[in-house]
Amino acid sequence: MSLKLREAVVRRGAFRLAADFETPTTGVTVVFGPSGAGKSMLLSTIAGLHRLETGRVEFNGAVMEDAGTKTRVGPHARGIGLVFQDARLFPHRTVRGNIAYAERRRPAARNAPIVVEIARRLEIEELLDRPVRNLSGGERSRVALARAIVSAPELLLLDEPFAALDGRRRRAFLALLRDLSREQSLPMMIVTHQVEEVAELADHVVAMRAGRVVGFGTAADVMQRPDFAALLDRRDLGARVDAAAVAGGQGGGVWIRADSVLLAAEEPRGISARNVWRGKVASIVREPDGAVLVSLGTDAGYISSRITPEALADLQLEEGATAWAVVKSHAL
Amino acid sequence: MVRAMLTAEEIQILATSLGVAGRAVLFSLPIAIAFAWALSRPKFPGKWVVDAVAHLPLVLPPVLVGYFLLLLFGVRGPLGSWLRDAFGIQLAFTAEGAALATAVMAFPLMVRAIRLSFEATDRGLFEAAAVLRAGPWDRFWSMALPLAWPGVLAGAVTAFAAGLGEFGAVITFASNVEGQTQTLPLAIYSALQIPNGEETALRLAAISMTAAVTGLVLAELLQHWARRRLEA
Repeated sequence: MSLKLREAVVRRGAFRLAADFETPTTGVTVVFGPSGAGKSMLLSTIAGLHRLETGRVEFNGAVMEDAGTKTRVGPHARGIGLVFQDARLFPHRTVRGNIAYAERRRPAARNAPIVVEIARRLEIEELLDRPVRNLSGGERSRVALARAIVSAPELLLLDEPFAALDGRRRRAFLALLRDLSREQSLPMMIVTHQVEEVAELADHVVAMRAGRVVGFGTAADVMQRPDFAALLDRRDLGARVDAAAVAGGQGGGVWIRADSVLLAAEEPRGISARNVWRGKVASIVREPDGAVLVSLGTDAGYISSRITPEALADLQLEEGATAWAVVKSHAL
Repeated sequence: MVRAMLTAEEIQILATSLGVAGRAVLFSLPIAIAFAWALSRPKFPGKWVVDAVAHLPLVLPPVLVGYFLLLLFGVRGPLGSWLRDAFGIQLAFTAEGAALATAVMAFPLMVRAIRLSFEATDRGLFEAAAVLRAGPWDRFWSMALPLAWPGVLAGAVTAFAAGLGEFGAVITFASNVEGQTQTLPLAIYSALQIPNGEETALRLAAISMTAAVTGLVLAELLQHWARRRLEA
């Protein structure tokens, strides 16, 4: 059960998307990259909304599109759902009408919640008989998600469905997506450009930059590669740690920013921080502005910390030395 | 009330006009929708031909349109003789013929209004329907048509109002037969041909104006209502 793109090329105006990767269609795959990387276009291509110039798309063993043999399964027949960033609710239908549109077209053999069930689950029961024009951003996201789930796709693509949300509500929505994927046994492929969200959601990651897929694989593997770090802003640099290894960790993993990690040359005692890892210094890298990035190999994986050159001199750290990394739970 | 204000003849003429214009719209609406849909699509081979055919009645003299119809659908015309032999239908010099001539003349108006409406709909909604398993036909019926409804309605009502006034094509193809093909403009024309017919003509002109203005106001109201309903 997987999704494969083989030397797939799509062109829209001046933008060219080239993708060659494979990802299992189980759990959650996160498509990550800076804005303008072509993440939305990749999803549209998988859904069948753009025509391939060359290459092929295979989904769970069936050819969806092959530019060579001019085979093409239409977007309506792929069994791949897509939640757009702008929700795209149907203006001539109520909330209920929007969700029922999907229910009516779902194949009888596919199992999925009915309108009322999904509405209860997503807490939009009160909205059911409202026209869609008065909904808030968060409500629109929920309705779009409900509509897509009721359609019972074999894979659900989500293009930053939480773009309209902020802070707390965004995190709640992420948790909801993760739970829904598990409850409904619905594989998801989610676009985001926030590295914490990748760590929290992803079982697998597809990393993109400038119209190309630059890396793919399990989250634990992809997120520790140098070419993944190359996609990040300086302030976002850090490391992924399994949630199980972290006090206060949620979801599959946690992204620990180098800026929120303290280093100690001796074992710290009597401090409030809940997360202290012992490890060996794996690398010390001086950044252009003089700050130093120290990477520590610990039981939880690599953890990096950004410190000043003065601190490095005080601690007298060198490669191979033992050190402790300290992280406040609050920073996670 | 209408009965008190109008003579029996005037009612007859008004009824003929409404019947002709109504049937004209019914005939041509589905075809106009098909043309408008095709023209609202991205480029396809032969699009300019479709475009030209749809707009032809707008630039041809109406008499010429009537004459072409006569050549095609006249009793000896290729389509006319076939219709008569196969179905016993005669179009030339009948009310049905008047409706056909009116339909052809009003066709570009309808296509234009409906096409603009199709073009104004958000294509993103069709994509959203597609990924919910709606195939191309399904998308047309469940998305494109309902969303273009204001334009379809406006096109139909405008064509109806304009159809009430069609003269050249109707008189050429269907002639001016009292009680059958004599619509308002034909009756006004006839009234002006006889001595002292001016009062009759003025009364008919007033009726014609009223009908046309009512049509336009109705179109405007319907469109306003339909737009509000579709506001996202």
